Amino acid sequence: MADLSKVGTEYSPITWEVERGKIRELAKAIGDPNPIYLDKDAAVAEGYEDTPASLTFLTVPMMWSDKMPAVINDLKINFMMVLHGEEEYEYYQSIYPGDVITGTPKVTKMEEKTSKSGSKMDMVTMEVLYTNQRGEKVAKARSLLVERK
Amino acid sequence: MAQEIYYEDVNVGDAMPELVKGPLQKLQHVMYAGASGDFNPLHTDDDFAKAVGMKDGVIAHGMLIMGIVGQAITGWIHRKDLKKFGVRFAGMTKPGNTITVTGSVTDKRVEDGNNIIVCDVAAKDENGDVKITGKFEAALPSKA
Repeated sequence: MADLSKVGTEYSPITWEVERGKIRELAKAIGDPNPIYLDKDAAVAEGYEDTPASLTFLTVPMMWSDKMPAVINDLKINFMMVLHGEEEYEYYQSIYPGDVITGTPKVTKMEEKTSKSGSKMDMVTMEVLYTNQRGEKVAKARSLLVERK
Repeated sequence: MAQEIYYEDVNVGDAMPELVKGPLQKLQHVMYAGASGDFNPLHTDDDFAKAVGMKDGVIAHGMLIMGIVGQAITGWIHRKDLKKFGVRFAGMTKPGNTITVTGSVTDKRVEDGNNIIVCDVAAKDENGDVKITGKFEAALPSKA
């Protein structure tokens, strides 16, 4: 059961160096043939500096940095009972290979809800604002986790 | 890949080009786990998935399906024009499902000099079961 007193907690920052190969790998796993994610020349031809991070790329630093499991543990959420309820991104500027992005995960909302069928769930909202190596805001990610009880 | 689309060319009610993908394979869950770093065995290990209540075994990562919706979006609108993209995960996707992504323009407005379009998107399987509902906003170039 999630520890609802943890609302407002900020975790240590995720710092992540963005690699061209990881941008391409994620596109290939999704099966997205858009050449801007796969080939630098194609991306440049479309007006990008390099292959841009795709719309859902920010899941990579969150998961590969092991931050998400650490946060779930700290919040006393049962990993086996957690579902991903919502995911939302705001994009402020492109993220390119070689960028070093840093984001501080913050628990912005925690509440217990009762579903239509009467079962109880804890709803946990986490936000991460990412900045790049120049200190510019690049994107914000918001995740809603649902713990079935 | 995406053609240049101008604000003036987009109208409320316009449909986004449909994207159909599938049938999805378990192998893609393994690829997505490796790419994303989400190694929850719910997506790759049938025995584990069954033990936690999924009677047919593994289910796809929700983020994989969101990625497929993202593929549909940036197949239409330039990646650099996207300002917001959010989804609600409404249902589980199983191997063998074929996913169809649809969308339509719900609003357009000029805001702080940006030409914003707002679109609803959805991903459904071959039975019409909804996997994702969502929304995105983009700032498009103007012919003016």
